[in-house]
Amino acid sequence: MAEVPPGPTDPEGAENRRLTALAGVAVAAMLVAGWAIFVYAPQDALQGPVQRIFYLHVASAVAAFGCFAVVLLGSLAFLWRGSLVGDRLGRAAAHVGLVFTTVTFLMGVVWAKPIWNWDPTRTWDARLTSTAALWVIYAGYLLVRRLAPPGRTAMRLAAVVGVIGFVDVPVVYFSVEWWRTLHPGPVLTAPGGPAMPAPMVVAYLVTQAAVGLLCGVLVAIHYRVQARRDAALARAVAAQLELASAPEGR
Amino acid sequence: MRFAGVMLAVAAKDLRCELRGKELLPALTQFVVLSLVIAGFAFDLDASSGPRLSPGILWLVLVFAGLLAFGRTFAAERDVGSLEAMLLTPAGAPAIFAGKALGATVLLVACEAVLLPAMAVFLASPISPAVVATVLLATVGMAWLGCLFAALAAQTRARELLLPVLALPLWIPFVVVGSRAVQVAMSGGGFGAWAPAGQPYAVLLDFDILFLVVSSLAARFVLDD
Repeated sequence: MAEVPPGPTDPEGAENRRLTALAGVAVAAMLVAGWAIFVYAPQDALQGPVQRIFYLHVASAVAAFGCFAVVLLGSLAFLWRGSLVGDRLGRAAAHVGLVFTTVTFLMGVVWAKPIWNWDPTRTWDARLTSTAALWVIYAGYLLVRRLAPPGRTAMRLAAVVGVIGFVDVPVVYFSVEWWRTLHPGPVLTAPGGPAMPAPMVVAYLVTQAAVGLLCGVLVAIHYRVQARRDAALARAVAAQLELASAPEGR
Repeated sequence: MRFAGVMLAVAAKDLRCELRGKELLPALTQFVVLSLVIAGFAFDLDASSGPRLSPGILWLVLVFAGLLAFGRTFAAERDVGSLEAMLLTPAGAPAIFAGKALGATVLLVACEAVLLPAMAVFLASPISPAVVATVLLATVGMAWLGCLFAALAAQTRARELLLPVLALPLWIPFVVVGSRAVQVAMSGGGFGAWAPAGQPYAVLLDFDILFLVVSSLAARFVLDD
């Protein structure tokens, strides 16, 4: 593996610059989303300014589910084909998905405090419970990676958790829904069109696009970190092997 | 039929080991009885609060007893390296896994055979056939899922730590439906508005089938080194 000298033709440097540029675009998009949420969208008549949490809350929930779907696909790709790309993609998406789940959760709690007069000791909402379970499942996914013997074993075991975890989430959700739920039903996909005025829908779509972009960029950055870490590890192992197999070794 | 033969042989081996060694079952029964004693002190139970709180106590004890039982099934095999020997045979990982899970299910059922009468004695819990059926149905799915994660955790450092973290969130469906069904069964009423009679059992059976299939499919990847 020849060392590539740094310079204008350096593919690593070009990749870094591209990611930096994308990150800049994502930050700009988030600023536009902030404008859409706080300036463009009208005030909700019933809930007041608290309703503005909705945009970021739903957008990050969708982004988190997207990340976990990527974990599922990456895990399946690894289990079926031994795809290292799938494994790295799963690793990156699980981290980012956990961040967005946390954001969703915190925003929801802030919203629920004034609207439901929320008291966690009295309210066991179905979505809160299943979101908490989701968080713990993917934290377990990352924990397996840390505690398993590194290399293929860790990838294999984590991929199993990634697949079963995704299967379990809808089951947890539907089983917990047997309890009464307080969480609002679908607003945007409600039958008969979105149950909110057009500017709100536009603000939501802008936020969703910005959050989706941010999420994608974060996964890409994380993927790149993982890829370089794997490459560094492979180089270190190869150097050790070379040292051990040299005729005058040690 | 070869699958069933291997499964039964592995389960019989595990149970024979347990009968001869008497390691897990005495410890588990003691754990169960001691948990009830602690619940008695912790909740300061009397004749009226005992039956009221017993569904919750039942599921807490059951979940933790399950973690203990399933954690041991693969840890013991790993310690002496006998799992590798079994996997070298042409039996196939899914059949071996199913056998281990079946053995663990029988162990946990034996533990429940102590737990439920002990609850009737200590907490005056009304144990009816409906309660027994619910607990048995939940045990099967929990055992298969728990054994899968036990096999997974046995390959890692800190396996005792990892098993609860992985298994507990995935057991939520069983605990939710099972605890509700036990609550209704213990209070002696019908299911009323919550669900038509028999539906909780059907749902538990669905979960059992789902997780039996999923964990058997995943077993190949977990056991295959």
